Amino acid sequence: MSAAAARRGLRQTMAWAHGWLGLIAGWILFTMFLTGTSAYFRPEITRWMQPEIRAEATPPAQAADSAVRYLSRVGPDDLQWYIYLPDARTVATRIFRIPAKPDPKMRGDELDLDPVSGAPLTARETKGGEQFYRFHFQLQLPHPWGRWLAGLCAMAMLGAIISGVITHKRIFADFFTLRWNKGQRSWLDAHNVSAVLGLPYHAMITYTGLITLVTMYMPWPVLMNYASPAQFMQTAYGTPADVPASGIRRPLVAIAPLVRDAEQRLGGPATRVIVQNPGDAAARITIAQAKRGAINSRTPIATYDGATGRFLSRSGDAAVAIDTAGVMLGLHLATFAGPALRWAYFVMGLTGAAMVGTGLLLWTAKRRKPGTAPFFGLKLAERLNIAVIAAFPAGMAAYLLANRLIPATLEGRADMEVSAMFWTWGLLALAQLGLPARRAWTVLFAIAAAFWTAIPVVNALTTARWLIPSLLDGDQLFVAFDLSCLAIGIGFAAAARISARPAPKTPGRSRRTMEPAHA
Amino acid sequence: MAWRWITAILGGYAFAVAAAMLTARLLPAPDATARVEATGWPMILSFLVYAGIGLWALHEVRLGRVSAVIWGGAIVMAVTLKLLGVRP
Repeated sequence: MSAAAARRGLRQTMAWAHGWLGLIAGWILFTMFLTGTSAYFRPEITRWMQPEIRAEATPPAQAADSAVRYLSRVGPDDLQWYIYLPDARTVATRIFRIPAKPDPKMRGDELDLDPVSGAPLTARETKGGEQFYRFHFQLQLPHPWGRWLAGLCAMAMLGAIISGVITHKRIFADFFTLRWNKGQRSWLDAHNVSAVLGLPYHAMITYTGLITLVTMYMPWPVLMNYASPAQFMQTAYGTPADVPASGIRRPLVAIAPLVRDAEQRLGGPATRVIVQNPGDAAARITIAQAKRGAINSRTPIATYDGATGRFLSRSGDAAVAIDTAGVMLGLHLATFAGPALRWAYFVMGLTGAAMVGTGLLLWTAKRRKPGTAPFFGLKLAERLNIAVIAAFPAGMAAYLLANRLIPATLEGRADMEVSAMFWTWGLLALAQLGLPARRAWTVLFAIAAAFWTAIPVVNALTTARWLIPSLLDGDQLFVAFDLSCLAIGIGFAAAARISARPAPKTPGRSRRTMEPAHA
Repeated sequence: MAWRWITAILGGYAFAVAAAMLTARLLPAPDATARVEATGWPMILSFLVYAGIGLWALHEVRLGRVSAVIWGGAIVMAVTLKLLGVRP
């Protein structure tokens, strides 16, 4: 670009940067947008994937009490217990233990408990909505590489948004000159419409996404102002300092009164209980409050002496920067959002996927010359587009189908569900190479349509909680899930139909696609 | 072209890290809260610096100038940080 760019202006170099940033990061970003969008319904997906569980809403104090009774039995000598209490959207208490001596036989995973009895839930083993959520920022790669790659892609997205906005002013002027190649015209329009309509959301979700892992991507300023990162966490977040175990045994006080006390002090339902050194004289209990309705995801906490039950401290007001980061995190996770806003987030997330997807298609459409054989890079880009845009959603559907098709009691079935997702994706991505590209689009869209439409059908064949009984029971979650899968399936069927149409080569057709630009 | 992209991605990150660290060290911090602010804001805003400097590396035609500003700037800031040391 060097010589040419010298004569060209900012918009030309930015258009060039936009094209390459978007292409290279676009394939990963598309999968990040889809899985991230699904994660707005992470607890709901988990509940759909464990149809055996029909739990009632349980007060946080009761759930904490039953969980502590279970943990005192299985891990009285543990270093720490993490207890995530159920709320309106989840039906299980999630616990996580840090044992005194690492036990290779114990799985490091979290465990779901019945909030009433405190017994481990006997439901099919599954990663549930957690799988898509984790993929969204870890990309199924070993730690920490997935998170770094996701961060790099998010940075490319930020660069693509900025350069795209700079470029777009020029495109706007070009609307009235109409010198576009005919075939790519419609893709450009689609890319612009999805990008411009969703721009505030896309910019917000990209930047706040980087902030979710800011302590990993940009911890360095801490080193200049604090002797240790722990010291910063303590001042910034009011995290109480770790107290070493005394070695003197003291039984843990009853947890339920503390939870109720903390809810009163913090002014809202409790969401998380952490017990340090349970059963020791130096036990500490920290209780966090769920700030329902508040955007800031930084949760206030109260700390108690675990042996006496004495109230020790609560987190104070944070610095503005910390609150800002907390609000940004909250905006990204959208846990503050009610059902209507969560659906709006979901739709905006889909416009994000549409923007990235149409951008990827535009890259290939721009470089395709009628009548000439495509060069290798173009063929590769086109095949990767098919593998990501058409095959990845089919893989997501396969994960949900596997949940219903793998026997509920089978050992290791949670990992099999994940394998189903990636094998389906990988095999479809390879199998399409056997077809001409245009045909591959149609066939893979049709397969994705079949998979998504099959989900409500297979659900009806394998569980009693299918569409009609769910409608009669007023089970909104299961109704919405089945209908959403159906809608996605219909969307892919439409995509298959459209992609099966002949290429827009005739002059009459291209004039028609150009018309909207006059309006 | 490869060097331009390496400078934009790796050099841009190094530049943003050094700039954030230097800002954090130089902002006034008379009390504990101000110190948290002086640390937090550079962390939050560093991604804008990274995006800006990275795009500039792709825009500016003179590659020597790009290398000098980004790598040179990062090194100068790193040396300054070394001399300043951790805030007492």
